[in-house]
Amino acid sequence: MIEIKNLAKKFAVENPKKLSEQEKKDPRLKGRFFHSVQDVSFSCEQGEVLGLLGPNGAGKTTTLRMLSTALQPNGGSVEINGVNVLENPLIARKKIGFLSGSTGLYGRLTGRENIEYFAALHGIEKNLTAQRIEELANVLDMQNFLDRRCENFSTGMKQKTAIARAVIHQPEVVILDEPTTGLDIMATQTVLDFIKRLKAQKVPVIFSTHHLDEVEELCDAVTVIDQGVTKFNGDINAFKSLANDSLHQAFLNSIRTSSEVTNAPHQELAKEGM
Amino acid sequence: MWLVFFKEIKELLRDRKTMFFMVALPILIFPLIIGGAVYVGDKAVKDAESKILKYALVGGELAPIIATELSETDVFERVDIGEETDYKQLIDNETVDFVLVVSSNYSDDVLQNGQAGLQLYLNDAGMNLVHKRVEEITSGESDKLQQRIFEALGLDETAQAALLEPINLEKINVADDRENLGEALGGMVAYIVFILCLQGAMMPAADLGAGEKERGTLETLLISPIERHKLVLGKFLTIAFAGVTTALLTVGSMAIWGIVLSQGMAVEFVMKFMSAISLLDFLLIFLMLIPVVAIFAALLFSLSIYGRSFKEAQSYMGFLMVVAIIPIVFSILPGVELKGGWAWVPLTNIALAIKELIKGTMDYVQLIAIFGSTAAIAGALIAFCIYWFNQEKVLFR
Repeated sequence: MIEIKNLAKKFAVENPKKLSEQEKKDPRLKGRFFHSVQDVSFSCEQGEVLGLLGPNGAGKTTTLRMLSTALQPNGGSVEINGVNVLENPLIARKKIGFLSGSTGLYGRLTGRENIEYFAALHGIEKNLTAQRIEELANVLDMQNFLDRRCENFSTGMKQKTAIARAVIHQPEVVILDEPTTGLDIMATQTVLDFIKRLKAQKVPVIFSTHHLDEVEELCDAVTVIDQGVTKFNGDINAFKSLANDSLHQAFLNSIRTSSEVTNAPHQELAKEGM
Repeated sequence: MWLVFFKEIKELLRDRKTMFFMVALPILIFPLIIGGAVYVGDKAVKDAESKILKYALVGGELAPIIATELSETDVFERVDIGEETDYKQLIDNETVDFVLVVSSNYSDDVLQNGQAGLQLYLNDAGMNLVHKRVEEITSGESDKLQQRIFEALGLDETAQAALLEPINLEKINVADDRENLGEALGGMVAYIVFILCLQGAMMPAADLGAGEKERGTLETLLISPIERHKLVLGKFLTIAFAGVTTALLTVGSMAIWGIVLSQGMAVEFVMKFMSAISLLDFLLIFLMLIPVVAIFAALLFSLSIYGRSFKEAQSYMGFLMVVAIIPIVFSILPGVELKGGWAWVPLTNIALAIKELIKGTMDYVQLIAIFGSTAAIAGALIAFCIYWFNQEKVLFR
């Protein structure tokens, strides 16, 4: 399982004059720092799919980047099966599979070479890599384009290759940052099927999205964040019960009700200068 | 680190754009362009030499020998201009190419009548060999007149020489051929090689840093279980390798094409010059290039990873190109030698040292100091590169 507690991240603002009006009004802007993520906590159990929701600019991508160790948090902790990711990012990276909607491939390498490169970076030996690529290619139906250069791939082929590359090291946790954004219906379905397969294999999956139908179809748990703070944490039924019949209304309610209720930790964090 | 290096090289070799700039340009295109320019220039000179020139001669009866020689040569064609005296007009409307006017005091007896004068009217703007071709005819006549004067005065050969040039200042160059040529070519060699290194490393650098951001592959790479410094070094080596390869390929192709195009004598001359430079000097020149390329590669990669896109990175690099040229230009300025302050100017000192090595006048102890200081700068820049690659504000701009 993966457990995130009180995660926080601030960015230095280099030139405050360049900020837009909306950014200047954001309460997360404090002096020379923008506190993108202030207090985010959630956990994801074995075989559970967690949907991370929030409006644009809420801090979802920053949170997921911290989970994937691309960014270093200023506070809080991330534990994967009891191992503190922040203390030893190199070991943690072997446990994480990461994919986003904008993830690219090396166009001048073939699909197979792209996957092999990342397998080699993970220290997987060649025979095992070949074997796993074979398995993944069969599952994802990639055999007929695997040895072609990626620059000519369709979005669906690219996404399949990116998926295979993300899980070639058999990660203990898979993190997906808006994995279906910008994809066509076929490619989207590939991603959704992939998430279902991970769930069947008992691999915890955390993914951020704006599509509530995906949440309804896949998620066991939902976390809503707004302005860098967790506003809702609970299972899908609890989330649905925030409003009658409409997930969209439930989402809006989660932001509204929690901002009225959970102002206290927000202010505490501000005092600590997180 | 080597894993990253070999993958990047594989990608580089498959990139047509980069390969064009790295390989095709220096090996085929540059020699073609230079060869073409030389051919066109050569042809223009030959055309000017063999073109039939139309001329008018005024007062030709005073200088019958010159008049005869002009009319007997195939490449001159006489035009009768009658009483016309506006020579400029005649030349401008292309009635004639030149007008030769014989002065009224022209005679065979120059001792009696003074210097014989001829006036050559021509349009001397642009390429033409009119003056040279007319002079070929008049100088022969001039020599004959001179000889006649010597005979009339009864001067022997010693006296003739003394009269023509009472004091003879003879220049005896104690520098050998290698030093002479090295002085002339050495600075240029360093200049060209440096620019080529920079140019060759530029495209891969933009691709390996900003290109990764643009394609969306950087984030995946950052969360791979490879230490950042290994990632940086792998990429850095690729850029440096591309720079050196471009420079060597270009210099090599220039040398081979030079030998192929210039025949016989020139080969001997080139071979003589090349064989004067010892293998050790060649090795030292190559060795001196290593820290220079390292400096370029580190700077280029730092700029590249800062850029949000390929385009942005390239504009930063264009600026670097301008800045980097300055110390290199210093080294080819006249009077700049590997002494005093100049020995401490980075890049300039290496360029000067390469020149000294080609000339064969290098102080090898000084070489160690120059190499050491440049290597230290390169090391510092690589360290900066690694630090830079660890900055979130740089990676996620």
